[in-house]
Amino acid sequence: MKSGRIWKTTSLFIVLAIVSLFFIVPLVWIVASALRPAGSLYQYANPLTWRTFIPSKPTLENFVHIFSKLNFGRAIANSLFVSLVTILLTVFVSSMAGFSLAKFSFRGKNLVFAIVLITFMVPFESIVIPLYILVKQLKIDNTYWALILPGVANGLAIFLFRQFFSEVPSEIMEAARIDGASWFRIYWRILLPLSMPAIVTVVVMVFMFQWNSLFWPLVATHSSRFEVVQVAIASHRSTESTSWANLFSSAIAGSLPPVILFLFLQKYFVRGISGTGLKG
Amino acid sequence: MGFENYSYLFKYDPVFWNSFWVTLLYSAIVNPLIVLSSLLMALLLNGSHFFTKFFRTVFFLPTAISYAVVAVIWSIVLDPYYGLANSFITSLGLKPQPFFSSPDQALWGLIMLNVWRSSGYWMMYFLAGLQNIPESLYEAAEIDGASILQKTLKITLPLLTRTMSFVLVANTAFNFLSFAPVYIITKGGPIGSTNLLMYESYKSAFVNADMGRASAITSILLAIILVFSFFELKLTKANFEY
Repeated sequence: MKSGRIWKTTSLFIVLAIVSLFFIVPLVWIVASALRPAGSLYQYANPLTWRTFIPSKPTLENFVHIFSKLNFGRAIANSLFVSLVTILLTVFVSSMAGFSLAKFSFRGKNLVFAIVLITFMVPFESIVIPLYILVKQLKIDNTYWALILPGVANGLAIFLFRQFFSEVPSEIMEAARIDGASWFRIYWRILLPLSMPAIVTVVVMVFMFQWNSLFWPLVATHSSRFEVVQVAIASHRSTESTSWANLFSSAIAGSLPPVILFLFLQKYFVRGISGTGLKG
Repeated sequence: MGFENYSYLFKYDPVFWNSFWVTLLYSAIVNPLIVLSSLLMALLLNGSHFFTKFFRTVFFLPTAISYAVVAVIWSIVLDPYYGLANSFITSLGLKPQPFFSSPDQALWGLIMLNVWRSSGYWMMYFLAGLQNIPESLYEAAEIDGASILQKTLKITLPLLTRTMSFVLVANTAFNFLSFAPVYIITKGGPIGSTNLLMYESYKSAFVNADMGRASAITSILLAIILVFSFFELKLTKANFEY
């Protein structure tokens, strides 16, 4: 019985290890290649040996090049700025919306909530064309606002806050009201500090959305001043001549922030998943 | 306005029809593959061994990487001359493959890329679903002497119906809207073999400045998604309570 279980566990481990090669090997290879001098990225690609995965003289010159010569730092700064402002606005706006939907009763509340639900079921890609026309009419195309505002209207964030606030007992608020606290003060001093898990979930969600988006920035901006990370990476692969060294190193540098965030806050990624109503 | 954009598409637009069929073919292959691989991964990782957490992280990790970067990674891995895939294939003594430069293989490259990127994500949904299945059911089955296969087929899969229907619908919609890999790797080629509707719509709107045609394509795409969702929901309707 006992040895049978060990055998089972070992074979499970071996199967998982083989499957994980499919996920890990491409990543290791890309990182190893980017650490080679620009002229010899592919020197050891073929035939397949250990040298394929371990650079003999690792160098950071490709990374130095994209930051010093190609202004990739500007793209990183743009993406950071856009993500941070979107996060601040989204947390503020959607937590207040979630608060009112959870704790107040007013006319049209169900309608508002239904609209919120619909907005996060409509895929973003499908509204890009009308959104572009709207942004152009507002004369904010090719500005930071064009990148930020569409990200702030986030139905899923409102939904998550509403679910979270619904579970906070109303007695706390009533007690605070009797002590003379304003509604805003109750929201700001009591509910918001309580909702840290919801806030972190929303922060992670919004950051990943803004940092990784390509389609909308491609459409909404055209001058290099507003170029964000994903657009910069995509521009390094052109049909005429692709600089592989630039492509590799910008792809890796551009992926570090979300990957690091992922490794430290993995449980909030999962919470976003289980929070979307899949329990049971 | 009116319906002329639609009638033109349907009557006189071979590029649209090519995209339409390419999108359906792509969807018919990529969706079952992703659902199957994510379900299998979840079943393998539904224990609590010392290595479970590690492998969950590994499988889930591609989710943190943007589609643009995933496209970059796979365009290089599948590069006909320098790519890792061909080094591997030739080291097995087989002939190197053209991948994205062949009209017969390019779509498969996109499919592989999407399986790599999304499987771990949907795996998390299946894991959440698996955790909701009461342990007592398995204990009862064990007392009756059920095998692992029997337990999987008779308990696990039926009780995952709700998760399955969500994953199926959400994943289908998601894949119908694939854009970044096409934009970055193939630009719809070679000879239209990867020209998915979302990319055709983008090209129409923002390269050829034909907003009418582009909006019509997007609306048709949404209609297709609705039809697929409807049938998938019907197909996975649970006829029991638990």
